[in-house]
Amino acid sequence: MALLETRGLTKEFGGLTALDDVDIDVEEGELVSLIGPNGAGKSTLINTITGRLHPTEGQVSYAGTELVGMKPFEIAQLGVGRSFQTASILPELTVRENVQVASFAAEHGSFRVNFFRRRDSFDEVQSRTNDILDTIGLDSKARMEAGSLPYGDKRRLEVAIGLATDPDLLFMDEPTAGMSPTETQMTVNLIHDLLADWGMTIFLVEHDMDIVFDVSDRIFTLHQGRLIAQGTPEEIRENPAVREAYLGGGEQ
Amino acid sequence: MSTDNIHKTVAEASSLISWDTWDRIKHTESFVLLSSVLFVLLFSYAFGRAPVVSDVFQGYHGLAITILIWSIFALGFNLLLGQTGLLSFGHAMFFGTASYAAALFAIHVYNDPLAVIVVGTLAAVALGAVAALILLRLHTVYFSIVALAIGQFLYFLAREPLVEITKGINGLEVPRSAVFGVFELEHQYGGLLGELVVNNLYLFVGVFFVAVVASITRIRKSPYGLIFKAIRENETRTAFVGLDVWRYKFAAFLLSAAIVGLAGGLMAVNTQFAGVERLYWSVSGDVVVMTVLGGLGTLAGPVIGTFVFFYFKGIVNGFPTLGNYWLLLLSLSFTTVVWVYRDGIWGMITALTGALRDPRELVAAVRARVTGGDSTGDAPGGED
Repeated sequence: MALLETRGLTKEFGGLTALDDVDIDVEEGELVSLIGPNGAGKSTLINTITGRLHPTEGQVSYAGTELVGMKPFEIAQLGVGRSFQTASILPELTVRENVQVASFAAEHGSFRVNFFRRRDSFDEVQSRTNDILDTIGLDSKARMEAGSLPYGDKRRLEVAIGLATDPDLLFMDEPTAGMSPTETQMTVNLIHDLLADWGMTIFLVEHDMDIVFDVSDRIFTLHQGRLIAQGTPEEIRENPAVREAYLGGGEQ
Repeated sequence: MSTDNIHKTVAEASSLISWDTWDRIKHTESFVLLSSVLFVLLFSYAFGRAPVVSDVFQGYHGLAITILIWSIFALGFNLLLGQTGLLSFGHAMFFGTASYAAALFAIHVYNDPLAVIVVGTLAAVALGAVAALILLRLHTVYFSIVALAIGQFLYFLAREPLVEITKGINGLEVPRSAVFGVFELEHQYGGLLGELVVNNLYLFVGVFFVAVVASITRIRKSPYGLIFKAIRENETRTAFVGLDVWRYKFAAFLLSAAIVGLAGGLMAVNTQFAGVERLYWSVSGDVVVMTVLGGLGTLAGPVIGTFVFFYFKGIVNGFPTLGNYWLLLLSLSFTTVVWVYRDGIWGMITALTGALRDPRELVAAVRARVTGGDSTGDAPGGED
């Protein structure tokens, strides 16, 4: 059985069908990408799987657990992490504190009564925070206020927060948008490391086709809420429906 | 040669107490504890009796006690607004309810100041648990307004339908009694101790003040302090890292209610009275003003704000001619301070002391303000 399965996933907003009967499977340890023209329903799909939106119909199962009806924090605690499309950081906290919040969630669960214990006394949380800052390369800026970071660093911090939650499956929503070529290359390297060394499963939403075709094991293509193609990068490249959606859609 | 060495040693010794060291020290718990103890010991004296200083303040001992109790109230309120970002316009409900519970317990069950205050605090926590079930479903202005409505509901409930229990607008009288039957609160000290603290009542309130400051400092340094701030900054993100935002908000609400309840209980003991006006909405409004004026989200801010509020209400009020306009003067000061310094008086103080350290920063800040640049350069008051 696949790690993540959706069956007949449908989401309607009023009269608009944003997701139409979507079935996808993600195997453990693979990197899948989701592509599609603007408005194809990519973010809606992620939001529906991770509990931000409630599907109109259909099921989502993760490692055998039904996710529909669960709250976002419960889904996160199961090991489904996500980084957001717009840098969704905690601006008035330091970079270190941003990562630390997620580390507490990973080490202590969704709630714990410990308001009379100093947070620097939790060694496992501190070392997780340090590891993540080191991995992402933000350790030199750890004491800066997150809101004052340059845009590319904010995006990296966004990924760092997602990583610190210790996910087995990580949704990355356009992680390289707005990054410089150097930063983009760092992010691609990071993705390779996460797969190879951390044994993570990654679900990538990305506009940069070079990256998608470079890193993906499999690619899903969404168009007007429907899954129109899935397969290896080679299969997708040759797929006439995908070409039609991108060239004929006129949005790209 | 030897004088050179001496100069060197002196220079090294003075660099031991650098700004960095000071920044580290001032955030330690022992420093905060020590400062609050010193504050309590010196406050009443400086306010009411010290030469020169007290002539400026023109304060008196009784008002010093009132300010300490209201500071606890403001600190408890600030835990919810400043740390967690929840603006309640109904915190009088905890202040008033705790006061009533304390008075009723003293009259009908057992009159020991300590037991009375514990009962007041527990009553506020119980009310907090019920109110949170309603309020935490709501966001932003709806949260604030419904909190106000619950407070006013309790006010009218205590005033008319429950008149048998609360004695309505006449209120309840709480007879004085000794702590553990031994320590008389009215007991006056002589000598230096008498000069500083005057009586046991002040010491009694002062101990609770220090305990509250120490507890809040610890909470701010605990995982909760961080998670509360995270919720204030971005609730959605906090949920998506896997934290149960509702339960953390619930915890913040109960902690806040407990501290405000403590203040309410102390007020009943201090004034030997519990009345319906402590539930009135203007009490909730006053504590918002004190907290925001002093400095939201900081530790010193609410205490400073409370002091300034009562300085206007209790002292400026008594000035000839000017006294009639104390509320107007307070509003003017409030508007000016909060307009210029988002972090209130404490933000103003930290910005000014920061400028003294580095005059170039001051020039840059002034220039930014004059040219209409954003004021993010302001030192955040007592952040962490």
